[in-house]
Amino acid sequence: MGKDRLLDVLERYEAVIGLEIHTEITAANTKMFCGCPVAFGGEPNTRVCPVCLGMPGALPVPNEAAIEWTVLAGLATDCDIALWSQFHRKQYFYPDMPKDYQISQYDLPFCSNGMVDVEVDGPGVAERLDLDGDVVADGPVPVVEDGGYRVPIGITRIHLEEDTGKMVHVGGSEGRIAGATHSLVDFNRAGTPLMELVSEPDIRTPEEARRFAQKLRSIWLVLGVSDCSMEEGSMRVDGNVSIRARGQVEFGTKTEIKNMNSFKALHDALAYEIVRQADLLDAGEAVVQETRHWDATARRTSGLRSKEEAHDYRYFPEPDMVPFSFEPEWIASLAAQLPELPDARRDRYIAEYALPKADAAMLAADSETGRYFDATVEITGADRAKQAANWMLGDLAALLNAEGIAIGDARVTPAMLAELIGLVEDGTISGKQAKQVFAEAAETGDAPGAIVEARGMKQVSDTGAIEAAVAAVLEANPAEVESYRAGKTSVIGFFVGQVMREMRGQGNPAVVNEVLRRMLG
Amino acid sequence: MTALDLSALSARQVRDGIARGDFSAREAADAAYARIDALDGEVHAFLQLMPELAYAAADRVDAARAAGDELPPLAGVPAGIKDNMNLLGTRTTCSSRMLENYESVYDCTAVRRMLDAGALPIGKLNMDEFAFGSSTENSAFGPTRNPWDLERVPGGSSGGSAAAVAAGMVSVSLGSDTGGSIRQPAALTGTVGMKPTYGRVSRYGVIAFGSSLDQIGPFTKNVDDSALLLEAIAGEDPRDATSATEAVEAYTAAVEGGVRGLRVGLATDILEVEGCAAEVKQSVLDAAEVFASLGAEVGEVALPSARHGLSAYYIIGPAEASSNLARFDGIRYGHRADDAEDVLDLYMRSRAEGFGPETIRRIMLGTYALSAGYYDAYYGQAQKARTRIIEDFRSAFERFDVVLTPTTPEPAFRFGEKSDPFTMYLNDFYTIPVNLAGNCAMSVPSGLCSSTGMPMGLQIIGDYFAETTVFRAAAAYEAALGFDTTPPLVRALAR
Ligand SMILES: [Zn+2]
Repeated sequence: MGKDRLLDVLERYEAVIGLEIHTEITAANTKMFCGCPVAFGGEPNTRVCPVCLGMPGALPVPNEAAIEWTVLAGLATDCDIALWSQFHRKQYFYPDMPKDYQISQYDLPFCSNGMVDVEVDGPGVAERLDLDGDVVADGPVPVVEDGGYRVPIGITRIHLEEDTGKMVHVGGSEGRIAGATHSLVDFNRAGTPLMELVSEPDIRTPEEARRFAQKLRSIWLVLGVSDCSMEEGSMRVDGNVSIRARGQVEFGTKTEIKNMNSFKALHDALAYEIVRQADLLDAGEAVVQETRHWDATARRTSGLRSKEEAHDYRYFPEPDMVPFSFEPEWIASLAAQLPELPDARRDRYIAEYALPKADAAMLAADSETGRYFDATVEITGADRAKQAANWMLGDLAALLNAEGIAIGDARVTPAMLAELIGLVEDGTISGKQAKQVFAEAAETGDAPGAIVEARGMKQVSDTGAIEAAVAAVLEANPAEVESYRAGKTSVIGFFVGQVMREMRGQGNPAVVNEVLRRMLG
Repeated sequence: MTALDLSALSARQVRDGIARGDFSAREAADAAYARIDALDGEVHAFLQLMPELAYAAADRVDAARAAGDELPPLAGVPAGIKDNMNLLGTRTTCSSRMLENYESVYDCTAVRRMLDAGALPIGKLNMDEFAFGSSTENSAFGPTRNPWDLERVPGGSSGGSAAAVAAGMVSVSLGSDTGGSIRQPAALTGTVGMKPTYGRVSRYGVIAFGSSLDQIGPFTKNVDDSALLLEAIAGEDPRDATSATEAVEAYTAAVEGGVRGLRVGLATDILEVEGCAAEVKQSVLDAAEVFASLGAEVGEVALPSARHGLSAYYIIGPAEASSNLARFDGIRYGHRADDAEDVLDLYMRSRAEGFGPETIRRIMLGTYALSAGYYDAYYGQAQKARTRIIEDFRSAFERFDVVLTPTTPEPAFRFGEKSDPFTMYLNDFYTIPVNLAGNCAMSVPSGLCSSTGMPMGLQIIGDYFAETTVFRAAAAYEAALGFDTTPPLVRALAR
């Protein structure tokens, strides 16, 4: 399915999308209702105890840190924080759920009624067809701004619950239950604190869905609430999607899409599903309300084929815990602890350093990167912030990517990067040399100044030395001198190369150029 | 054969006798097992005996005494444990096929505290399956018989705990009380049973029936022992989020306080309930007279919403139970059906095979009451009734220190007599409102029924965390009444 098919469909149909985003509170260290550690993987059933195994008579004790993290997440997304809240039991039988009920929240979530701004730029803007205001849609109205648009997406609620264990189906294909001969259960994950965020059906395009999920991920990362790994499943995004004819007010029949394990998968799965639903409607068929599974290899969604009965979860208040009553002062004290959030940081970088919006947003997307940038600029000064940004988004980003490490683990520290920028700016080394110094510093952890010293890389700006080198080159290449003087000025590049070779790369290119033109002319 | 007779000694006397060197903790254990040998073939109070654990505990007590150490408050006291409480090294069956072979993987807090106070874990006691019942007839392993009359039930669900104390097989035992499961069997067996305030004793490790109703409490032969055992097991537990943070009072010190000036309320309106035997009613009126004669200020109190207790309880209790029992699914532990076709088949057959009829009835009741479309009409209404009952007690305790009712409408009935579940449920009419409100209450013997010779019980209800007051009232009444707690079966042994 090409992108054009989606755009074609969106000409006639409007998509209505809501997301459910589950995030494990990996920052909580221990599970939601017991003292077992929170971690990924490990030998099956080694991080378990009577509570998270649902052994008879064991009781849950709420993890206060996890509740605090959830309230912080709510505060960071403009939610109302409940003064009175409680857990409910959500009841259904499944082998990955030790008690055969999940302690979750029902009508009294910790956080509700929030909102985040989502910015869309680049090719994804094309998916939003009502920017000119011609097509009337309900839901939030996008605001057109430089190179794209911004739209507020509502958050219905953020509640806290416990994660389930993991099933491994043995004997079938690809670990799926179909054809499996038996199943194994690993309860290491069972009881991990899990935040569930439910968005309003305010999202109108797959690109907005992706941007919304990315925005939330960056907020969670800045808060430090979770490592938000979509591969390891600590952040999981499910989507509800329906389509309706442009101008129609009633919602169409929705499907729920699961197994979207990356932001790209989220976009592509929703795009596929919109086109699939449009094809059904175009053919006069009905969309069936069901849960569908995204297959990233086959690049399509498929129904889970299980008899999807309407679940009655028989929610009722969890009697093993007393309800929570929060003081407004406590909530205010948490609000005061909120770190600078990505949007605010991005806007500050634009205002203070005149960075391009996209660059600023990337630097502000997580606190480690933001802190690195701030620390670098602290040393270089604001007038070299742009260079710091270029280094971080260029060589440093490439290095981190190649080595698969976090910015905090890079051998090149903010102080070293600032030093390197200073060496370029005061003309000690050329930009090309700086790249070599960076690479060496990244490998050895040596200070850029020391590397320059040790390698004798100091750029020569001394006019006398350059004049001597230029004189030698001109003397050795009379034919080229002749053609330059005859008007073929493009040979200047040849002379620059020769002079630089003569000077073993250490000549200041700007000065070399100037001296060449003077002595040739 | 040892000369020690646990029927003739209180728990305190056993402990003090060991401390003095009159006899050893080993001899106390011997006495318990000898009595079990003699009578439990008929009574069937025990599901499991733990002589290794009991004698190891006895040896620790005897060694401590030999070393001249101060002995803890329950040192060497033979104790029984209702079989819904976990203890490492034991099976915990809840009298169910579902858990017939289930071995505990950790200790119940209350049991641990009782054993840390020096008690000897003699054995695990029979009960109605998962505590659903008032007669132990719902045990998958056969009923317990009442030591006062082997043709009659000992009450339930903690019938084994009651019978073992009544028959002198142990000095004390632990039971659990969700709607009367301690107080009702205590009344039916002439023993003292205490249901503490909700939250007073940790629920960690007792297999849950109704999480908002369950409390563990002591069975003893007298009020002083009850205070002694509650003092040992009560208190905050970080493993139970509903356990109370209030400090545990010195209950035993309060027992001798007397009732002069105590405001005693007689719940007259519910005395007139249909099915309350005339003699039971009279015993409560007599008890009021006893309190008045001891200097208490006796008045009348109404509990108008108590009548709704039974209906509310049979929604809330089963609703919570249906959820709490979901985990018995055949996946991780407990009974698992053979050759299941798929996971749904495994669930359905394991549960159908593992659970008895009353358990299945409660699960179905509770599942229905929580179902979409019925929740407000059942669970919601029941919660409203519960709030009204809480308000009844609140206003009662503004005027009174304790409230008197019968523990049960009638003394022990014969096996099979109450085959209709609803008439069985009526047996808990007086005890259920207390669980719904969360107050503390105890049952103390109030005499023998003249026609049957069976014991009757007086229920003394107290305000939240007013256990001290309840013990004080109960001790004064007990002393005035002078009830002999020894059943004929035991007297016949002595000959
Ligand atoms: Zn655990």
